[in-house]
Amino acid sequence: MLKELDPLLHSQLRLGVMSLLMGAESAEFTFLKEKTNATAGNLSVQLDKLSEAGYITIEKTFRGKKPLTRCRITRKGIKAFEEYVQALKGYIK
Amino acid sequence: METNDDRLSAQQSLTLIESMIRQAKGKASGNSFYFLLWGWVIAVCNFGMYYLMKFSPYPNYAPAVWMLTIPAWVVTMIYGARQGRSQGIISHLDQVNKWLWIAMAITITPAWLFGEKINWMVNAIILMPVGAATFVSGVILKFLPLRLGGIVFWAAGILCYFLDPVDQYLVGGFAIILGYLFPGYLLRSSRE
Repeated sequence: MLKELDPLLHSQLRLGVMSLLMGAESAEFTFLKEKTNATAGNLSVQLDKLSEAGYITIEKTFRGKKPLTRCRITRKGIKAFEEYVQALKGYIK
Repeated sequence: METNDDRLSAQQSLTLIESMIRQAKGKASGNSFYFLLWGWVIAVCNFGMYYLMKFSPYPNYAPAVWMLTIPAWVVTMIYGARQGRSQGIISHLDQVNKWLWIAMAITITPAWLFGEKINWMVNAIILMPVGAATFVSGVILKFLPLRLGGIVFWAAGILCYFLDPVDQYLVGGFAIILGYLFPGYLLRSSRE
């Protein structure tokens, strides 16, 4: 029987963000925006959803006077991502 | 990626994951700043130590030249903090490279602090781990001159076992220039 795919990850933008963060130690909001081609508003909403689920942490600081947002995947996020990929393999086979 | 609830096929998901991970991973930034800063500081300390121990009337004060490393640490920490904030992405390899050099610094610091207890045979001890860190940095950054620099340090470290403590500082100074500063400048010109 096929495992259900995590609905939080099974969306293009959130999956894109999680994949980027899986390959990096941390990434800035602007980097994620550039790589995913998302709008700032949409990306911000999706990051909040991932953060509320405990999949990522969002650190807000300042660079000079400009706000700086840096995201990092959590252990829970890594586990969820790995489980998602495992479940995905079932669909591919 | 405009929408947030669009349904993906399994194959689309995998393709997306592969593409994103490829973009994020596997690149270390290869900043030459630390190589140039520490290359010059350690070269000056080595040559200074050699000169003061060999030619000055106050050889006992020679170890004081290593105080130069204190401002170098301060500059390193300030620069590192600013750099960390200004990079769009910090890759795993950046982290590995950073911790490699922090671990190396911890490994060699006792030799500097307690050098007197080993009759200042410091370079014979510290050049080997410095060689290892330089070589591995070369592997991480995929930069051949740093790997060759690591080999220079290993050769210099072995040579030091056959020299008296004062002459070891001369070898250490030249090893830093060849194994660290020279690759550092090449790294800077290659990444500009």
